[in-house]
Amino acid sequence: MKTTHLCSQVGVTNTETELQLSVLLDQFSITAAKKVYLLEADTALSPEETAMEGVGQPAKMKCLEGPHLNQGPAKSCGSLAPEKELVSASHLEEEEENEEGEEDLDPDPDLAPGPEEEEEEEDEKDLGDPAVLSAVHNTQRGGLSSPGIKIPDVLGMSPTSLHFLWQTLDYLSPVLFRPKFPSANSPACHFGHQLLLPDPSLFCSLPTSWPPKFSLPSHLTQLHPQHQRLLQLQQHSRMQSPPAKKPWSQQPDPYANLMTRKEKDWVIKVQMVQLQSENPRLDDYYYQKYYQKLEKKQADDELLGRKNKVESLKLVTPYIQKAEAYESVVRIEGSLGQVAVSTCFSPRRAIDAVPHGTQEQEAGAASSQRLRVLHHIEKMFLQLLEIEEGQKDGPPQPCYSEQQSKQVEKLFLALKTQEQNNLEEAADGFLQVLSVRKGKALVARMLPFLPQNQAVSLLLAITHHLPLLVRRDVADQALQMLFKPLGRCISHLTFHELLQGLQGLTLLAPGSSERPVTVVLQNQFGISLLYALLSHGEQLVSLDSSLEKSNSDYTTWTDMVVLIAWEIAQMPTASLAEPLTFPSNLLPLFCHHVDKQLVQQLEARMELAWIY
Amino acid sequence: MNYMPGTASLIEDIDKKHLVLLRDGRTLIGFLRSIDQFANLVLHQTVERIHVGKKYGDIPRGIFVVRGENVVLLGEIDLEKESDTPLQQVSIEEILEEQRVEQQTRLEAEKLKVQALKDRGLSLPRADTLDEY
Repeated sequence: MKTTHLCSQVGVTNTETELQLSVLLDQFSITAAKKVYLLEADTALSPEETAMEGVGQPAKMKCLEGPHLNQGPAKSCGSLAPEKELVSASHLEEEEENEEGEEDLDPDPDLAPGPEEEEEEEDEKDLGDPAVLSAVHNTQRGGLSSPGIKIPDVLGMSPTSLHFLWQTLDYLSPVLFRPKFPSANSPACHFGHQLLLPDPSLFCSLPTSWPPKFSLPSHLTQLHPQHQRLLQLQQHSRMQSPPAKKPWSQQPDPYANLMTRKEKDWVIKVQMVQLQSENPRLDDYYYQKYYQKLEKKQADDELLGRKNKVESLKLVTPYIQKAEAYESVVRIEGSLGQVAVSTCFSPRRAIDAVPHGTQEQEAGAASSQRLRVLHHIEKMFLQLLEIEEGQKDGPPQPCYSEQQSKQVEKLFLALKTQEQNNLEEAADGFLQVLSVRKGKALVARMLPFLPQNQAVSLLLAITHHLPLLVRRDVADQALQMLFKPLGRCISHLTFHELLQGLQGLTLLAPGSSERPVTVVLQNQFGISLLYALLSHGEQLVSLDSSLEKSNSDYTTWTDMVVLIAWEIAQMPTASLAEPLTFPSNLLPLFCHHVDKQLVQQLEARMELAWIY
Repeated sequence: MNYMPGTASLIEDIDKKHLVLLRDGRTLIGFLRSIDQFANLVLHQTVERIHVGKKYGDIPRGIFVVRGENVVLLGEIDLEKESDTPLQQVSIEEILEEQRVEQQTRLEAEKLKVQALKDRGLSLPRADTLDEY
């Protein structure tokens, strides 16, 4: 009924067109307001203006996609408007179409905006309708030059002439708009609404494809804080905008979805294939770590009571079987030489180049020695990284898989022996490794993986040479990183091993007058290690009373304790280093073995040092 | 972002108005209709915008197919804010004239510089392969 009303207004008597028009109007969702508007347009305005309005309407109608002019409905949809234009034109005499068109249409832009602005409630988009009118104006000018238009039989209009109309509009409108709308709005106007102008073509988009006007990035994008605030503000203001505002704030895009879903999926697929990897934890390390952090944060937030669980998406690349390994060099039977096969991995592979590594001469023993040590550290580090990688998530621990144990063993041997046959040189090598900061890091990270006996051997080596290490560490101050893993190792020491460790500290190095303990006490790492050892010893003794029975060990122990206590008392408080942790059972330990006076002195020193 | 979280993709930009800066210095404004894996772009209802000082002029160009490697950057244009510009739009002829004048002054300045250097016995390397704009 509505459609027939409209059709009759514009003089569509052809039932076929009428049917198609009704199909279109019913098929696609036109809001009630718009439908009412159509009606009102019919009733309130003169036939001429209706024709003008009518031209605007089909543009707002939602029809099928653009360029497929061959499709029936689109064609009829497209052909409808020219018909309307023709109708308006047909009001005029055919010979003087041009002039009269101008005469009649010129006042219309003035008239038409009035009632339009009454009818519609959109503010800015009124520009669209006068624009449409002037487009009609243009069409009259431009389109009438086309012989196709003069044919009153609309359905007979060829697609090519429609196309021509559409194209002329494209080119004419930007130029012609400006004189009419000198305001700053015109660029947006003509650009945004240019989409409406091919009203003869009238190809509109399906509402389902309607993209949000301004895509708000997900939480995964990092924005500048100002930018983020701005976006949030915009988002809030948009949400608070009156609900009466139309859902589509601009006219539907007739050219949308030229790229079909299939094509989009194809592009995405290609991009995903490029991202696939067998070991994403390695290849895409930063993204994986970032995502883990994000998930953790969300889990924490949720625990804290944030109700909504925002499920953050993760990029999951498809696992696609890699194509069989390509042969970089192809031999063709009967030919001489090799053929270079070009693939995406090696676009131009000329020949099998054989690297000739030239051995550099040893220039300067010291520098080369250092280089060798560094090189060795690097190799060991690579092994360590492999072990860590194999460990997967979770704290490092002595591994249970055979392969890993082998790897760890290999690494330990590399560290300990350094492929030196001489024990002394091996020890020296170990110390050299420890003298380098990276070497310390290596040992620190390696210790959790080692079985206890190997860890103990390392610990003992360290304690034996602690003064030396401390001296060498003055620049780096990096020994601290060893403390935690060593601490863990210490807590598993046996009494005998402990004594061995402590003995190293008390032995006077040949040629040095200074006791090693003094040096150790002045260094933070040294003192922490010492305290840890003592504390563990005290714990062992207190737990196992049988130890007190065994003479030699126990006497050594007491001697050690007394010596250390004396040394601490001797030290000026200022030079006593602050330990990383202060075990609580140290003072009681000293109480057991030394006299009260000394204990008081010790207490004062240690606590003061602790406070410092 | 729905399609490929954690990545940058042009899929979400389709059917939106963009400003594209090319390596040869041209600025194109158009609706991004289609892309491919190389970020080749299909721009619809494209307008080439020439900026000279505070003025600009638009030359309607129609449909552009841009090879991906020639794009410097592209960004979405907010249609609401698009008209909110302090720049003044002028006609094509005027802007082309302005551009020519600007180019001329630049060339003259360049010539003076080269001459000055030459007088001092120095020479600038030829910038044949550089992208200059």
